Amino acid sequence: MKKIITVLTICSPLLMHAQGFQVNLQGQKQQGMGGTGSAFIQDASALFFNPGGASFLKENSVSIGVSPVLSHAKFADGASSTISETNSPASYPFTAYALFGKKDSKLKYGVAAYTPFGSVIEWQDGWTGRFALTRMQLQSIFIQPTVSYKINDQFGIGAGFVYGTGKMNIRRDIPVADNSGKFGKAELDGKAQGYGFNAGVYYKPTSQLSFGLNYRSEVNMKVKDGSATFTVPQSLQAGFPATDFAASLPLPKTIVLGVAYSPIKKLTIAFDAAMVGWKSFDTLTFDYATNTPTLADTKSSRNYQNTSAFRLGGQYNVTSKFDVRAGIKYLKSPIKDGYVSPDVPDADHVSYSLGVGYKFNSHFTVDASFTYESMSRTDTNLESQLNGTYKTNIYIPGISINYNF
Amino acid sequence: MELTRLISTSLEFLSTITFNPIAVKKILFNSFLASSVAVALFSCRPTIDTPAPTKGSLDVSKYVAIGSTISAGYADNALYHDGQENSYPNMLAKQFKLIGGGDFKQPLVDASSVGIGAAMNARLVLGPVTDCSGATSLAPIALGKEGDFTIFLTSVAANGPFNNMSVPGAKATTTVYPGYGNPANGAGNFNPFFTRMTADPATASVLSDAASQVPTFFTMSVGTDDVYGYAISGGTKDVITPSAGAPGFGFDASIDAIAGTLAANAKGAIANIPEISSLPYFTTVPYNALVLDNANATALSAAYQPLGITFHEGPNAFIIEDANAPGGMRQIHDNELILLSIPQDSIKCMGWGSMKPIPNQYVLTETEITAVNTAITAYNTKLKATAEAMHLAFVDMNAFLKNVKKGIVYNGVSVSASFVQGGAFSLDGIHLTPLGNALLANEFIKSINSAYGSTIPKIDATMYKGVSFP
Repeated sequence: MKKIITVLTICSPLLMHAQGFQVNLQGQKQQGMGGTGSAFIQDASALFFNPGGASFLKENSVSIGVSPVLSHAKFADGASSTISETNSPASYPFTAYALFGKKDSKLKYGVAAYTPFGSVIEWQDGWTGRFALTRMQLQSIFIQPTVSYKINDQFGIGAGFVYGTGKMNIRRDIPVADNSGKFGKAELDGKAQGYGFNAGVYYKPTSQLSFGLNYRSEVNMKVKDGSATFTVPQSLQAGFPATDFAASLPLPKTIVLGVAYSPIKKLTIAFDAAMVGWKSFDTLTFDYATNTPTLADTKSSRNYQNTSAFRLGGQYNVTSKFDVRAGIKYLKSPIKDGYVSPDVPDADHVSYSLGVGYKFNSHFTVDASFTYESMSRTDTNLESQLNGTYKTNIYIPGISINYNF
Repeated sequence: MELTRLISTSLEFLSTITFNPIAVKKILFNSFLASSVAVALFSCRPTIDTPAPTKGSLDVSKYVAIGSTISAGYADNALYHDGQENSYPNMLAKQFKLIGGGDFKQPLVDASSVGIGAAMNARLVLGPVTDCSGATSLAPIALGKEGDFTIFLTSVAANGPFNNMSVPGAKATTTVYPGYGNPANGAGNFNPFFTRMTADPATASVLSDAASQVPTFFTMSVGTDDVYGYAISGGTKDVITPSAGAPGFGFDASIDAIAGTLAANAKGAIANIPEISSLPYFTTVPYNALVLDNANATALSAAYQPLGITFHEGPNAFIIEDANAPGGMRQIHDNELILLSIPQDSIKCMGWGSMKPIPNQYVLTETEITAVNTAITAYNTKLKATAEAMHLAFVDMNAFLKNVKKGIVYNGVSVSASFVQGGAFSLDGIHLTPLGNALLANEFIKSINSAYGSTIPKIDATMYKGVSFP
């Protein structure tokens, strides 16, 4: 018992999650350890965290998991002190991994499916920022066939091709009212596709120490034939025709460098530093197929900056079957002052997590984690002039089932 | 706090673990459930503290607004119910309730009424209008052939006294005028908008009705109508109130009388007067909207050859009446204004501005504009000096509307002085929409907070609409 408390005490002051609309929920073991994982290879989720380390796994492995994200945000309008809140539905980022290879083969093959980016936020009806946004939902699913090769007992390399598919749905009110005082509405809905890769190097110089380097490329998600619909007073309808639109959303590259160390056999401490190339998200452009004097293409400056995250986590083998984990991470927001908007009210913040794992037998393992984040930010958006304070609480329970054979 | 609880609960949870594999299995199965329970237990909702409204040195228990057309809630060229509900004094009163403000009564007209304007007209709405050439477009049209005269014939004085003592058409000079509501004075010498709201039409002045309520706080936006009657009519009606003269005759002394009376026992805010160049009524119709093809330009040049006026292909300056010009007409200069009141069909099909000069009442010439601007500058100097001398809050409505003209963005809403689309000005091009009034009320709140150390929250102006579209 004492040991468990020691682990938590060590970990709690410094431990680290969503950043921009990046979703770092690709493995329960890693989530329990503050998101660390590039240097600590335990199961088939290595296909995501470090394809270079997957070749070090001895068995075939399949795993599925889900992490419901429950978030609740509030906004206090700076001038009027009016408080608005979100009624966002839960989102369900999932993972599915399968890793295969002949026993003792240096070459392993795998397929990963996961949700690396996404966001859903829905503000209450009639809220003060509704002309900037009422609802946004971004979903992405990446499918990644992967090859991992163990060069020797110390080095492993791996890479996977990423096919990304996604959806976007954005709604806002239009500040034109009909005679009953009802304002107009706009809805943009589209499907997106993109391509990229995920590569990694794993280095394990001793049985106690390992290093990992993971590079996940930018995936530019392109919407080709999105549909835009506008509900406006009848006399203005001709100026707001239903039209196709094109847009693109560059999902940034991520580089992770990590280390894992086992001072004693039962304990592993892991640390990851990540750089996320959010600078690519410079402008959000909607190019409408049909333009009218009242419906011009829109260019919204986002001006995101490259950002970093630091993650620290620990895992302790309480018994040969039971693991406990804890972690903390610090995430720096990619959003500069003047660009915070109600679609992603992000801020620098700390994320805390706990996790457990239980091995039922030599094949079957269940892992669970719980992550908590809270963030607050006051800003005046340069484009909408929306000024005020956002505060968001996020709760993420998660569970996965792993089967090794 | 929530985090501390989360961790301590988790520790308790872990401390229950006995290393019995069966129990461990159970615990593990329960752990996912436990996380979900934890979510339910710790409130999901963040809390945000907002500053509490405080009154500083203010007492707003009895707020009276003295003013004229804009503060009466006159909009879309008429006084009507929804316009009154959205007057900025009424919006201010709602915010004042947060710091101890009382009820705010207005001389409301019936909600079903088409209202009545200065020309006995009904209020304007947007509707499809087919012009002389057969083209249909969205344009302001009166909601009826004439205004609702019952408004003038029905006294609402029994519902008073009214906190909103703003009377459409009232000037600084007429605000202090006893018997301003007395029909016995004869047409043009009394104001029927005041007659309907005063308990004593024969002897009361707007000021005496305001003062007798013993306000603890007042707003004063007086003076616009001292110059706008002249400006709106293209200089053909009314006279600009001179600065000098006794109360009731000169602007300065009238302002002193009004502010002096009200400020004797109350704190307050004084607003200044917008310049005409900020208002779409004066800026919507371009001086050179006479677009000609080559043949018409040649023909017109020939016709106007005796006056030495030539036309060319493309945009040309309109021809206007000018008694001092040769032949009584000339081309309008680029610094002169054509007013929104000009009948569009007369330009499009009747040859106004080309074959015939545009009548004087639809044009402000350079001389007239100078007279208007000189008066507004003098009035604004006086109003600011009065606010300073009496330690009252000063609201720079002129600067606010200049900013609107440049274009402002408020919580994702673009607001400008552009006619109809701009959202700030109602269909008469002079008075404000509900959105415009809300933004103006916020200017008052800003100045009041700054002058009296109060922290009255501003209005969430996104709750108010601009021009309504069918």
